[in-house]
Amino acid sequence: MRVVGAAAAAAALPSPAAAAPGRPSLRYLRPPGGLAEKEFLARCIRCGQCGENCPNRSIKFFGFENGWASAETPHLIPRQKACILCMKCGDACPTGALKPIARELGAILAEVRMGRARVDESLCLSFQGKTCGVCYRACPLPDVAITVGRLEQPHVTDKCVGCGLCERSCIQLPQAIRIIPDHG
Amino acid sequence: MAEGRQPFVLWRHLNKLRWLVLCLVLATLVLLPLVHLYQTYVAAHAYDLLAPEEKRLYDVMEMLTAPLVDDPAEDLDAIKGTTWSGTFWSLRLTDPLAALGQIAAGLGFHWPFLLTALIPLAVTAVFGRIFCGWICPATLIYELNSNFASWLRWAGLDLGNRRFDLRLKYAVLVLGLVLSAASGVVLVATIYPPAIIGRELYYVIALGGFGAGTVFFLVTLLFDLLVARRGFCRYLCPGGALYSLLGRFRLVRIRRLVENCNDCAKCNVICEFGLDPMADGFGQECNNCTACIAICPTAALTFTIRPSDVAAQGPGHLGREHRRPPEVAGP
Repeated sequence: MRVVGAAAAAAALPSPAAAAPGRPSLRYLRPPGGLAEKEFLARCIRCGQCGENCPNRSIKFFGFENGWASAETPHLIPRQKACILCMKCGDACPTGALKPIARELGAILAEVRMGRARVDESLCLSFQGKTCGVCYRACPLPDVAITVGRLEQPHVTDKCVGCGLCERSCIQLPQAIRIIPDHG
Repeated sequence: MAEGRQPFVLWRHLNKLRWLVLCLVLATLVLLPLVHLYQTYVAAHAYDLLAPEEKRLYDVMEMLTAPLVDDPAEDLDAIKGTTWSGTFWSLRLTDPLAALGQIAAGLGFHWPFLLTALIPLAVTAVFGRIFCGWICPATLIYELNSNFASWLRWAGLDLGNRRFDLRLKYAVLVLGLVLSAASGVVLVATIYPPAIIGRELYYVIALGGFGAGTVFFLVTLLFDLLVARRGFCRYLCPGGALYSLLGRFRLVRIRRLVENCNDCAKCNVICEFGLDPMADGFGQECNNCTACIAICPTAALTFTIRPSDVAAQGPGHLGREHRRPPEVAGP
């Protein structure tokens, strides 16, 4: 039973190792609307327009740190700068590597799948009895993607799109809430 | 030059216009990341938190753009991108090499993207490889590098001036596409100087550091300087190869007026792409840069509209060889 549970958890939350074959410790997100990794690499022409349209300069570009195949491709490191879900990058992408998605709740919930937040309860202040709630306040989809219970303890729902603003804002070091990337 | 045909007087000034266009393209590629920085400052509503140099940038950009736009964060999105792929209001333009690279990498046709390469394709079909001579942001740097090399030669340095087979770049193009197909990654994007320049300027201005492409570009500059004049463009550039093929039957091309030519060979020396205008050898690789027209002392080069080069016309009528042919001069 435990094995089955672990396998199910692994299937639901791809491990960082599966996410970044070139460097297992590198945990990155593709911009919202990004195709599955293989198709993304075949579609993206490395023009950089997604980054140039990002009003938060959240989108960074790989050198060779994630292997040569993803050199010059866009990504986000949520702890450094997260996605504000403005959806401009998808509109800017000429290649279809990022799908254009309307900036409205329904479309974002239906189509954005950058990853999903996961709370480490052994690190989270609220779970240690110190009321925090910062991640909930930072979430652009509060009560939809994340709910809070007693002592502002965060609970991530399966509607979370993985923008990373909770991880960005977590006041704990190392961060108690992290996005587990979903690269399709 | 008493007789007949004279080239239109403005043709010999097109080369200056070309330099102006090249400078404008590069200046735009520098300006766009600065505009983007300004937009991010505006979007963050954080003027008071900016560092002094960021404030200066904000003020300058505000002064420049305020007459043009109401809402900088939105309205300045109108022009984005680079020469590799760019957006002008709703018009998207893409380098044909990007389209071909994506076809190779994905082994499929994603038409909304491929159609953005249509206008550059049509322009190339009519004007030939003009992207290389008139727009490519790397060309400006390569050409200045080439001039720098000639100064060094003039100063007495023995720089390499090797010639390779011009067809080498077609092999690079095919190899790049085959490797793109094999790896499923648009590899040509990482070795194509104009794409590199656009990206690296954005990285260094907006993200605060050069990427790996800069190293590659510097290596190509050194190759040009030390091994072969304009070596990358002539022998290695996959985009140049594609544009040459697309421009093979271009309608607008340069031709020689044999009756005005005095065989001085200045055109062959000035030609950055190593072509042979003096013997009517333009071919598919000519990018209509007009440097040969500008330098011709006897106005023997002009534009013509025809799908193929004029056949070899022999020595120029003002030249020594034509006036004293061997069978007449010999005893």
